[in-house]
Amino acid sequence: MPTINKRISEEIRAQARKLLEEGEVAAVLGYGAGSLPMTVKPLVVRRPEDCSKLIWSAFCVLNLANYLPAALKSVEPPRGPRDPKHEGPLPKVAILATGCWSRNIVVQIQEHQVARGRVVVMGVGSRGMVSRRKVEALFPGLEILAVEEGDHELVVRGADFAETINRWSVVRDNCQSCTHPDPVLVDLRIGEPVSERKNPNPFKQVEEIEQQSGDERWAWFTREFSTCIRCYACRNACPLCYCPTCFVDDAKPQWVGKSLDAVDTGLFHVLRAYHCAGRCTDCGTCETVCPMGINMRLLTKKLNKDVLNLYNIEAGMEPDSPLPLTTYTMDDPEKFIITELTPVPRAVKEGK
Amino acid sequence: MSETNNWEPKIIAFLCNWCSYAGADLAGVSRFQYPPNIRIVKVPCSGRVSENMIMSALKSGADGILVSGCHPGDCHYISGNYFAKRRFALLSNLLDFIGIEPGRVSFSWVSASEGEQFAEVVHSVTERVKALGPASRLVKQLDAVQAA
Amino acid sequence: MSNGSVLVVGGGIAGVQAALDLANSGFLVHLVERTTAIGGKMSQLDKTFPTNDCSACILSPKLVECGRHFNINLLTLADLIALEGEPGSFKAVVRQRPRYIDPEKCIACGLCAEKCPKKVSNDFNMGIGERKAAYLSYPQAVPLKYALDPEHCIWINKPGRCGLCAKVCQAGAINFDETAREYILEVGSVVLAPGFSRFDPSPLDFTGYGRLPNVVTSMEFERLLSPSGPCMGHLERPSDGQEPKRIAWLQCIGSRDINRVGHPYCSSICCMFALKQAVIAKEHAHGEFESSIFYMDMRTHGKGFENYYNRAKEDGVRFHRARVHSVIPADDSGSLQLRYVDELGKVNFAEFDMVVLSTGLQVYRHTVKLAEMLGLELDADNFIKTDSFNPVATSRPGIYVCGAASEPKDIPQSVMEASAAAAEAGRIMAPARWTETSKKVYPAEMNIHAQAPRIGVFVCHCGINISSVVDVEAVAAHAKNLDGVVFSQCNLFTCSQDTINQMVSIIKEQGLNRVVVASCSPRTHEPLFQETLRDAGLNKFLFEMANIRDQNSWVHQLEPEKATAKAKDLVAMAVARVRSEGALPYNTVPVTKSALVIGGGVTGMTAALSMAEQNYPVILVEQSECLGGNGRKVYRNWKGDTFLPFINELTARVTTHPQISVKYNTEISEVTGSVGKFITTFSDGHSFEHGVAVIAVGGQAYQPEEEWQFLHGIDHRVQTLLELDQRFMEEDAGLKEVKQAVFIHCVGSRIPERPYCSRVCCTHAIDSAVKLKELNPEMDIYMLYRDIRTYGQRERLYQEARAKGIIFVCYDLDHLPHVSERDGRLLVHAHDPIIDANISIHPDLLVLATAIQPREQTGSLSKFFKCAVDSQGFLLEAHMKLRPVDFATEGVFLAGLCHYPKPMEEAIAQAKAAAARAAIILAYDAVPAESVTAVVTPAKCTGCGLCVEVCAYHAVSLDENGISVVTTSMCKGCGACVAGCRSDAVSLKNIGNEQIMAAVDAAFM
Repeated sequence: MPTINKRISEEIRAQARKLLEEGEVAAVLGYGAGSLPMTVKPLVVRRPEDCSKLIWSAFCVLNLANYLPAALKSVEPPRGPRDPKHEGPLPKVAILATGCWSRNIVVQIQEHQVARGRVVVMGVGSRGMVSRRKVEALFPGLEILAVEEGDHELVVRGADFAETINRWSVVRDNCQSCTHPDPVLVDLRIGEPVSERKNPNPFKQVEEIEQQSGDERWAWFTREFSTCIRCYACRNACPLCYCPTCFVDDAKPQWVGKSLDAVDTGLFHVLRAYHCAGRCTDCGTCETVCPMGINMRLLTKKLNKDVLNLYNIEAGMEPDSPLPLTTYTMDDPEKFIITELTPVPRAVKEGK
Repeated sequence: MSETNNWEPKIIAFLCNWCSYAGADLAGVSRFQYPPNIRIVKVPCSGRVSENMIMSALKSGADGILVSGCHPGDCHYISGNYFAKRRFALLSNLLDFIGIEPGRVSFSWVSASEGEQFAEVVHSVTERVKALGPASRLVKQLDAVQAA
Repeated sequence: MSNGSVLVVGGGIAGVQAALDLANSGFLVHLVERTTAIGGKMSQLDKTFPTNDCSACILSPKLVECGRHFNINLLTLADLIALEGEPGSFKAVVRQRPRYIDPEKCIACGLCAEKCPKKVSNDFNMGIGERKAAYLSYPQAVPLKYALDPEHCIWINKPGRCGLCAKVCQAGAINFDETAREYILEVGSVVLAPGFSRFDPSPLDFTGYGRLPNVVTSMEFERLLSPSGPCMGHLERPSDGQEPKRIAWLQCIGSRDINRVGHPYCSSICCMFALKQAVIAKEHAHGEFESSIFYMDMRTHGKGFENYYNRAKEDGVRFHRARVHSVIPADDSGSLQLRYVDELGKVNFAEFDMVVLSTGLQVYRHTVKLAEMLGLELDADNFIKTDSFNPVATSRPGIYVCGAASEPKDIPQSVMEASAAAAEAGRIMAPARWTETSKKVYPAEMNIHAQAPRIGVFVCHCGINISSVVDVEAVAAHAKNLDGVVFSQCNLFTCSQDTINQMVSIIKEQGLNRVVVASCSPRTHEPLFQETLRDAGLNKFLFEMANIRDQNSWVHQLEPEKATAKAKDLVAMAVARVRSEGALPYNTVPVTKSALVIGGGVTGMTAALSMAEQNYPVILVEQSECLGGNGRKVYRNWKGDTFLPFINELTARVTTHPQISVKYNTEISEVTGSVGKFITTFSDGHSFEHGVAVIAVGGQAYQPEEEWQFLHGIDHRVQTLLELDQRFMEEDAGLKEVKQAVFIHCVGSRIPERPYCSRVCCTHAIDSAVKLKELNPEMDIYMLYRDIRTYGQRERLYQEARAKGIIFVCYDLDHLPHVSERDGRLLVHAHDPIIDANISIHPDLLVLATAIQPREQTGSLSKFFKCAVDSQGFLLEAHMKLRPVDFATEGVFLAGLCHYPKPMEEAIAQAKAAAARAAIILAYDAVPAESVTAVVTPAKCTGCGLCVEVCAYHAVSLDENGISVVTTSMCKGCGACVAGCRSDAVSLKNIGNEQIMAAVDAAFM
């Protein structure tokens, strides 16, 4: 019996081929094999015969939604800035999507970055993606040459060793705390649906920090982001960060300096996270791609927690509902408003 | 500003034109005294105030920041303060999360008829900032001074 | 030829609204106010129901606009003493009493009041606390000028005795020798808005008012609640300053009371007033708080009122249907004991810390005199008499009335009538529009685009108001060193006329291209200085103010050094801000001078006719094949005036008017454009270009169903009020044969699915019952009701019905009447709470007073014009209190049942109001639009649409490339889109991030 992911890979290839052959889509956005162990790379397939290159594995850690707007653009007929708008329907793109990516696609639809009618979502229930960093940490100083994937275990091989480890133990933090592994938007189902995960406390990591004192939290924050080299990998891998000019590049006013100064770095991360408020699906890509291993996901996770607790909204769950910061209710909580006021002594004007 | 024992904080206050700025005027007309640490920046609406503005004011050296608008329901622009309320709630929590001291950045609703409340808010904000001491977290200039 | 000026008497909210509407539509307005300042009763309110808006916050901008209006001649301390002539050309004599303080010179620094030794009871605070004989009636007063109280001023009464105010006044504004002046004004029409006084409960001994300090009137309580009142908003009871924990409100004090007071009418507003106070008092209270309202009927018949009532119940406000017998001291502590008889006839006692008397409204004695002088008819209650079908016209042509002087009413109703009166006054003066008004002419503006900043800074001493605390010379010296500043100086009074003139020449001589004034508040003085810039040929937006008085010297009086340092910062911040500001266009939107009215009922016809009579072309769209709408189904109003003749006459006037074209069987299929130029496409494919639109699509009757069906549609003896009206109109002889009739009120109203009162049905039902009694005086009639809501003078009808022997039985939602048929007879079961027993009636006629609902298509129609609907599907006005016929979308107005259920006279007033508001736009070739607007940098725009979502004015949209664009004419400059934009693609002109952050950074330089 082939593994689940092998079967999914087969189904992806078959469905992708069918879509391309029938002309339903002009391209399929999926994954191809990577050059290193435990890596895969995003792949745009335009010809049926290339579909065999598509794969599915536990290492599909990059959020494919990030590539969707560009993929859609790439299949449009070329159009100059003064050319009239294209008449008639534009070609479609099929995309593989797990729970979080599908929610990102929903956000992209809500934010007009993607036209719903041009996307064929090939929904795959996520069993959690494996963190390469976690696996490597189990084998300090050793070079991993290959990892074989089973349904519940991984066999890690080096030049002179082979060890079987539990798959779930090395799944990324965001996947472990995920409650919506199954796609919320599906045009074409791949594999079996995955049930909603009952996670008693999806925000455990956030709460651990919240329970610390203010000084400890500040120490954590400065320590966590001190190694940032401002490479912007986190930003570039994020499907939410699509501004033509990022706020860090604004000059008048310059919100954030461009240096590696701790204040500039800290401000960058705080504001970037804030800009994802109510939009982030906790796909974990930012953290995965960070060369310095910074856990910037904790900031967005904190915001997700507040958005859920305060407004009962989770990003990208409903295409027709507005984003949390573009709507309000009359009785939104306002605990942040000052309540303890200091009485004012009446001015004694005489005798001044 | 070098003598820390004589240190007086500077507090930037973003006040909406229609309610809180008018409330501040009324405090003046009524001669309600409050500490002189506040520097008022008039904006059309609390909904005009962004997280970038608040963080940038902090970066520039504000020891405290106050944002004040019309009470919910009273917005001159119908709904500006409702959107602001959501944004500030999230920002306020996020700042707390990363260890920015509670009291550095404060929010209030003050109407045009609440002169005394305005003075009370300023008293309260100033006291909290004074108790915290000079701002150092996410402050650009201080870091530069220390480095020099 | 008619005169293009108009006289408005009374500067309360109604008078102010009428004055603004008239002045804005091309007439010169003389606004005559009896006291020292406009604002009226509304300025004394703390909050307003049902939105709990801060009264001062929403009123102030209107007062300021009125005070500054180029075509409003504001005469305070003035009375109309004679009027002669005809509509179109009246001659009015207005007498102005002396103020003793020259308003041209007074800068409202308050020194006179501070030094005045004479303390006087504070009438603005209803006599609670004191003010001086030199005084400003309230902080936001317009004009913001002090006055001497001639009754109490020591010098005026004994010249030579005091004169302290004159000694301290730096501006030299005090003039003890001022005498009264008389003005003869030629006007085309007169609008009366003299307002109302509150009933004085002193003669009502049972209330204890006047004897027991903790018994106060509702207006006194309002001042106690107000943050600007005598207790600064900390609720204290008068006897000992303790916070009351238990408060009782006694309703109908001086209303609905023939025996003791002689006021048979209902004052209409007190139920909501008390509810609001109960809710707000609870918000003020610390800890446990109990509020009880003793009432006869809770009359929450306005929009949003019933919901408010329900919320108050949920919040724990207690309601007792009882009239209180007596209020006596409970003990020595100041607490009060109330004795009352409850619904079951049992005597009860209850103790409270405070008692609030909900005193009724009545006509001022001087209003009665004024009416007599003018020869106006008054009604039986001394209110100024109006016509059912022309609700703002008095008995004398050319004189109109609005507000509570014609019947007790609330603020939105008064504002509506004010606009309606403006429409009527404007109608007879239409040919003289713009003949009396004047327009200021400014020199051409210098193009500063390529110039480096040359900033001038003017620092004001404000007499000693600023300079006694702040070292103004040091501030001016500091300013001189700021980047871009080429000139700075100090002035004693920057706002004085000579300094203003000097500023103009300095701007020219020094070649200044930006100006900063460091003085008082921009809220009061920015327009004046901006005008000065324009006089000097500079764009008025190249200006900033540093508020170093209201927000500095006045609030840091004991810390001069720190206040000076702060003033330097504030000036540096203003300079930083102005440095990157640019000239902004004085935006206007060209106006297509025609109107679209949707809905051919009485409301729509009235609005169409009102605009057509002002000579504007109107298209009236009606979805059916005939005009008249719901009005044709109603027999008569509570005054006994039948509708059909009026509607037929109105229809004839509409269909024959050369400016009106009616489209029958037509609906709207598309609307594009915005204020000034809408293009509407109709279902027949034709389209029409118009500058404004009035939506008057009416409402529809609720069809009884489920527990509210009561065999309607099954048994022919069960009919709705409208079905009964049909029989009245047909003079159905069968009605005389009815021996027993039952009316059930609130069928489909005031229930969870429809949590509002339909406003008209109590009156309609009782009038129908009275009509049945007219047909057959022997008929037994039972009214099954929840609260009788015959508000205002409709109460007389209720009294008449009771006098005629009509029996009223109360029911509640837990004891709904039950209707069945047995042996061919109808059987009605009901529970009578007074005898606590079930009663059975066998009527031959059962009449259901059914609810009024919005039409289903209201929602889709509102979307065409980007207007909002409320949770019940009624159209939602821009502001419930002060903009009752406007939408947030400019250029679109609403009237009639699509807004909320209302009787015809109110619908007519609202229709005229909508027409008046629309005519303001039509009076101009182009209407001014906001200059400080949002602007998009397309290259930075992601097209995410966040700005579109947060814009309350629908001013932002995505273009065909998915890039955000701002419709400048619709933008109000709030900046919600700017703050929301992650990529800084949207900015607000002159209030961009660049300017704001430059100001912030300047505080740390």
